[in-house]
Amino acid sequence: MTSNRGDSRHGRFQGHFAELLKVEGKLALREPTGLAMGIGFPIILLVVFGLIGKAVPGNVAGTGLTVLDIYVPIIMVVGFISLGISSLPVTLVRYREMGWLRRVSTTPTPPSRLLAAQLTLNLVLALVTILIVIFGSELVFGAALEVSIPYFVLSTVLSIAVIFSLGLVVAALAPSQTVASGLSGGLFFLLLLLSGLWIQPAIVGEPLATIMYYSPSGAPVRALLYSVFNATPPLTAIVTMLVYAPIFTFIAIRYFRWG
Amino acid sequence: MQSGNLGVHPTEDVMVSQQESEQAITVQRLVKRYGDFVAVNDVSFSIQHGEIFGIIGPNGAGKTTAVECISGLRTPDSGSISIQGLSPLKDRNKIREFLGVQLQESSMPPRLKVGEAVKLFASFYPNPMDPDCLLETLGIEKVKNSTYRRLSGGQKQRLSIALALVGNPKIAILDELTTGLDPEARRETWALIESARDRGVTVILVTHFMDEAERLCDRLALINHGKLVVLDAPEAIAAHAGGSRVRFVPSKPVDDRTLYAIPGVKEIERKVAYVTVIGTGDLAASVIDSLARIGVHVSDIEARGGNLDDAFVKLTKDDASRVQERLQS
Repeated sequence: MTSNRGDSRHGRFQGHFAELLKVEGKLALREPTGLAMGIGFPIILLVVFGLIGKAVPGNVAGTGLTVLDIYVPIIMVVGFISLGISSLPVTLVRYREMGWLRRVSTTPTPPSRLLAAQLTLNLVLALVTILIVIFGSELVFGAALEVSIPYFVLSTVLSIAVIFSLGLVVAALAPSQTVASGLSGGLFFLLLLLSGLWIQPAIVGEPLATIMYYSPSGAPVRALLYSVFNATPPLTAIVTMLVYAPIFTFIAIRYFRWG
Repeated sequence: MQSGNLGVHPTEDVMVSQQESEQAITVQRLVKRYGDFVAVNDVSFSIQHGEIFGIIGPNGAGKTTAVECISGLRTPDSGSISIQGLSPLKDRNKIREFLGVQLQESSMPPRLKVGEAVKLFASFYPNPMDPDCLLETLGIEKVKNSTYRRLSGGQKQRLSIALALVGNPKIAILDELTTGLDPEARRETWALIESARDRGVTVILVTHFMDEAERLCDRLALINHGKLVVLDAPEAIAAHAGGSRVRFVPSKPVDDRTLYAIPGVKEIERKVAYVTVIGTGDLAASVIDSLARIGVHVSDIEARGGNLDDAFVKLTKDDASRVQERLQS
């Protein structure tokens, strides 16, 4: 790659990456189950908990927060899980199984660019989810969020890194699309449970509460909850994510196969 | 990563670089194992610029593994491969700019449109062909806006060829090109390969269809159990190993010993009243002459030259050493 034609290669990189991204975007729109899960599911949850929040006036268990307030970070993380655990690995394993990654690897473009395009696409969708959840809860359902931008950005970046890299672990380890679907389906519900979607850690008691706090979906929820109410996220939540992300990334890179 | 394995003796290195001006691809002593199974066992050949080089052999013979090593998709256990003086592994980025590969049994995202696929692959290469022109040449411009899953087998195959050719390759590797195509689509595909050759593209064609190999290839390498059995022009292989066949009905029973005594007869097959002898030389004439001398008349005589099918069956049945003997004699 260190050739004297660095500039033209760079230009071509942008050309083919833009083309890859365009194609992946079109494919996502033509097969919108991923989109529906990634963006539709959080919207439904937002409406449900927004309405509950309006019906049941604030102050859940003396926290000073409404039901919707507590659920804003959970809905965001559920969106990340839908994209990173359900959609991303299944698509990648399908591409591998049908020989598409191998096919691309016979061209001057490395197949990692296809993976990068998939990641970029899902990151963009995650960003859309974030905007919908934050502005939807504030503008439509009147949530009184006080987003602390630096903490929010830090928590969001780490949350997405943990969940997407876990999705890539599934893509790396699943030998077939069937196994990938099974693994990601199981993981999806486990992570939803640990995020607090069905039951709050404050209610379940020990040891489940601790497990939730230190889980790959509970830690992001915790960090984000503090960040959207202008508070410093607990160090344990940040450190937990800082441990998970590199481990998952390492496993994914170590075991990923292109063909 | 494994340059140690790929090294050959220095003198051979010099030889290789001298040949490079004429050879598009040189494969020397290629070995590839999967665990205990030796998929490709000490195979050497070289391919000239602008030729259509066929690799034939029964299923599981190691054809695909061999071309996967050439395309840099697999790492050989030993031996060396040179593509215009470059190594498929060390110089993979450079090679991929002029090597087009069509893989066996690879499919595409079902909702990807034909035009999008070709345009996408064109963006991967430094000097691609015009996607629309290519689609027209391949006769699939009408399905440009159809998604992959709506295409017929022939259209899918043609799209696959389009993706292998869109980068304007100097060398194209096509694996099981016409498997699953109807006879008309096969003929059209053959014409495409010939037109690519006429533009100066060197083609490696992996196939198990003898008619395809006979029709298209300038030279053929027959691989069986991972070993190179024979490498020659299709006609030469057919003539050498196929043998001519003469079928007839004798006027009275003739035993095998008598038949084997006829000059050129190598094998005998019997079916009801019919006797077929397989062998070399002017077989029909010597059968008629020899039998007439012992008072046997032949009727219903039918003679044909050896073809590639016969040669293939014979060569893949025998073990490599016996074939070697026969070809040397």
